[in-house]
Amino acid sequence: MTTLKYTSIEDIPKIHETARKAFESGRTQSIAFRKEQIAQVGWLIKDNEDRLREALHADLGRHPQETDLLDFGSALGEVRMAYDNVEKWVKPQKIDFSLNWFPMGPKYVPEPKGVVLIIAPFNLPMFLLLGPLVSAIAAGDAAVLKPSEQTPATSQLMAELVPKYLDPELYHVVNGGVPETTKLLELQWDHILYTGNGRVGRIIAQAAAKYLTPITLELGGKNPVVVDPKVDVTMTAKRLLWGRFSNAGQICLAPEYVLVPRDFQDTLVEALKEAYHSFYPEGPEKSDSIARIVNEAHTSRIKRLVDETKGKIILGGQADVSKRYIAPTVVRDVPLDDSLMSEEIFGPVLPLVPVKDVDEAISVIKAREYPLAVYVFSPDKKFQDKVFKNTKSGAAVANETVISAGVPGLPVGGVGPSGYGYYSGKHCFEQFTHYRVSLDNPGWVDKVAFGFRYPPYKPDYKKYLKAINASLPPRPGKAAAKSLAKRWGFWILFALVGASSVLLTKSGRLPQLKARK
Amino acid sequence: MTTLTYTSLEDITKIHQRARDAFLSGKTKSIAFRKEQISQVGYLLKDNEQRIKDALKLDLGRHEIETEFFDFAAVYIGVRTAYDNVESWAKLQRAEFNLNFFAMSPKLKAEPKGVALLVSPFNVPVYLTLSPLVSAIAGGNAVVIKPSEQTPAYSALLAELVPQYLDNDLYHVVNGGPQEMTKVLELRWDHIFYVGNGRVGRIIAEAAAKHLTPLTLELGGKNPVVLDPKCDLQLAARRILWGRFSNTGQICLCPEYVLVPRDFQDTLVEAMKEVYHSFYPEGPEKSDSLSRIVSQAHAARVKRLIDETKGTIVLGGQADVESRFVAPTIVRDVKGDDPLMQDEIFGPVLAIVPVDSIDEAIAFINARDTPLAVYVFSQDKAFKNKVFENTRSGAAVANETVITAGIPGLPMGGVGGSGYGYYGGKHAFDEFTHLRVSIDNPGWVDKVAFGFRYPPYKPTKLIAMLSPSLPPRVGKTPNAATKRWAFWLAVVLVGAASALLTVPGSGLLSSRSKL
Repeated sequence: MTTLKYTSIEDIPKIHETARKAFESGRTQSIAFRKEQIAQVGWLIKDNEDRLREALHADLGRHPQETDLLDFGSALGEVRMAYDNVEKWVKPQKIDFSLNWFPMGPKYVPEPKGVVLIIAPFNLPMFLLLGPLVSAIAAGDAAVLKPSEQTPATSQLMAELVPKYLDPELYHVVNGGVPETTKLLELQWDHILYTGNGRVGRIIAQAAAKYLTPITLELGGKNPVVVDPKVDVTMTAKRLLWGRFSNAGQICLAPEYVLVPRDFQDTLVEALKEAYHSFYPEGPEKSDSIARIVNEAHTSRIKRLVDETKGKIILGGQADVSKRYIAPTVVRDVPLDDSLMSEEIFGPVLPLVPVKDVDEAISVIKAREYPLAVYVFSPDKKFQDKVFKNTKSGAAVANETVISAGVPGLPVGGVGPSGYGYYSGKHCFEQFTHYRVSLDNPGWVDKVAFGFRYPPYKPDYKKYLKAINASLPPRPGKAAAKSLAKRWGFWILFALVGASSVLLTKSGRLPQLKARK
Repeated sequence: MTTLTYTSLEDITKIHQRARDAFLSGKTKSIAFRKEQISQVGYLLKDNEQRIKDALKLDLGRHEIETEFFDFAAVYIGVRTAYDNVESWAKLQRAEFNLNFFAMSPKLKAEPKGVALLVSPFNVPVYLTLSPLVSAIAGGNAVVIKPSEQTPAYSALLAELVPQYLDNDLYHVVNGGPQEMTKVLELRWDHIFYVGNGRVGRIIAEAAAKHLTPLTLELGGKNPVVLDPKCDLQLAARRILWGRFSNTGQICLCPEYVLVPRDFQDTLVEAMKEVYHSFYPEGPEKSDSLSRIVSQAHAARVKRLIDETKGTIVLGGQADVESRFVAPTIVRDVKGDDPLMQDEIFGPVLAIVPVDSIDEAIAFINARDTPLAVYVFSQDKAFKNKVFENTRSGAAVANETVITAGIPGLPMGGVGGSGYGYYGGKHAFDEFTHLRVSIDNPGWVDKVAFGFRYPPYKPTKLIAMLSPSLPPRVGKTPNAATKRWAFWLAVVLVGAASALLTVPGSGLLSSRSKL
């Protein structure tokens, strides 16, 4: 196992200072510079794909295909999107035309917040570290990256590669554990983006409060799945197991439990068994397609949850703590007060919770904290809508799991205890950006409109204010009457015009027109 | 003075629960309902303009023109904007087309965060309660408003009017002081929108951290003015003094100090004297165009700053703590370490700080907390840009003060010490909503594209095909030249081909052209 070299505590404030100075140098104001650095993040990955795959295999026992899809694919997607759009994102925005204000040329300009701190978790260490980095670069910020100490090989490689590919004064990697992170949090940042769990999220929010630092928190949650018996059960089973077992279940968007109608559980179980055997034809122990748990502590935590369940294990259930191995596991007839329902499992274990119907499923979800995603498997739009409209979550996904995080243009973000703020694309760019308002008011404006504001105050101000004031919308309850009145007004007018034209044509004034012909 | 009835501590918990239940009832999902409530906020104000003006006269000794201009106008604009646009703000939006993902019909929709808490300050109490309220209603939230206990007449009136005009289960007013506020902050909110100062801002942020509650903080800051000697001096003097003395300087966007070239200070002071006398021809004591400080404590604080300054008072300087009166005051030759340059003055005192150059002015600004606004008075584009590009602030305003807050469509918000998040129209709506994403992935997508993802993993080219291409490597721009060559090559080929085609008798084109 690679030993990760921790950054010395004394160096951390120096790194912070270097980043601040580099930010203040103003070199990130150049969009060409930002694009160059964004492209370099792409090449950092591209040139070192094999080394990164190996590092992630060492850290998470992960098959390179998962690394390619979940980590490289999404990080490169961010690179491309930011590279192609950063000019558009940084353009000053004009407001809708308004007669009262247009001479002042009001607009708002996206400006960098300054020096940002990005703290990434162990589970998708490339995407969740380099994805936000790309957004921070696009916004023009300096950034300090704190990768997870739980993925020593990858984090070590990041510390080696980042200074090689990127401006070494603006962008830094700090490695370490709790003391190093504590030191980082003592410093003043202009934004902190943290991905991880709610416990650490609270610590980060407390530290940020002292400096009034804005934060983005991407936390987890127990993501429910609601299954409609009318669904294509083979497809459902495959996508459920894929989402739950990818990266050995260590994805914040992974489905954590399935709410299934009691009389449909057997059917679903059969389909899950079939999918399971197609995934691991020789059993999961021999498969190279299942990742390992990040460390022994988490492995024994998950093992304990499985050991204590009152549900019935129908697939998997084996665990080997010293090898950080948990077999992909499916448990049926799991009650709501079960060990598996007590916390985010964050491992390859899928509990099936039988319920009476969709209403009971909804009330189970509503009784818990808001998750990052609510999943529904159903071909029926009404069924989907019923679940989505009556629940809250970061994402509302039908007939799929996990994948929404990789869709360009869709922000990733929680609500309530699953966090706040957004990842990905323009939305993440905005996290690292401050919209600075600007205007320039010529002197003549006071002569025509805004001169009334100066003391001594005189009663004629009212006529000027009247011009600025917006009219009110109709008073509720009066709307119908008013539009009816308007319609009457229209018909009266129509009748009048008709009558007068009749009069005009009769009175012989028309010949003038005729004569012209 | 009106006595403000404080909400009982037990009631605070009940109100919070009632708001939550009302939110969960789903009533706010209807856009028609939201529009009705938005419109009612407008009528709450319209029907009671005189009572509100009277209340603010009591609380702040304010002339009604200031109330109408700062407090009412922006609310009416906010009501109209939200009413007219809430459908489009809350509409389901499609993500941009992407070949790999369009089959999943990716969409996003702004959904309410839940129960929002608005904590408002005393200085512009109508605008800073009702404007975020309108945005929160447009977002579909339940709302509890905590107005300032320092404006008792207004806050009591608001507690009376809100239940008369708005849904009684969803929208509430809680009145009280620190004790009530502490109770309020123990509860879990889905968003807190606070306008006030950094000290309380920190307390609120720490309370919010416990519940992982997202925040909008609109704080103050010492807003500098940089004056270019080549500016329209009359105009600058008028607009600076107007901004500083309006609402007796109790506006978070007020200019707090002026950085002026040392040799131009005399000229500026003369111009300001002239404006001052035009504002208060019989002296400020007799003027009805000047508000009072909100409390005796604040009046005493502002008085102390004036008493302790080492600068030279050129105008004003009088204060009467008991009647909460502080005369509009201008102090020249103020240094960076002066008492006037420490905390936000938040009163009608303008400090003039002489500097030797524009670079010194910029360094002076950058050595302090990031302000809410940086003001420049200049006709010179290069001068303005130099200041704006080398400083940070919520707003960068040329030849004007304060007025930005009232302009519809601008995201008003601070940065650094002046807070974060935005108020105003759609931007505040975004603060109170969460973008919920959705996809629906048909089964056939696995057959054509995403089937490779399932174990057992086999070597596949599909990931590479789905992956976006990389932008050019740094220093390798010749790539573009190759492209250009390819383009010209194509032009030549097309040209040659069409030439061949048009040769008489050789093809369709020539025969057609004869028709």
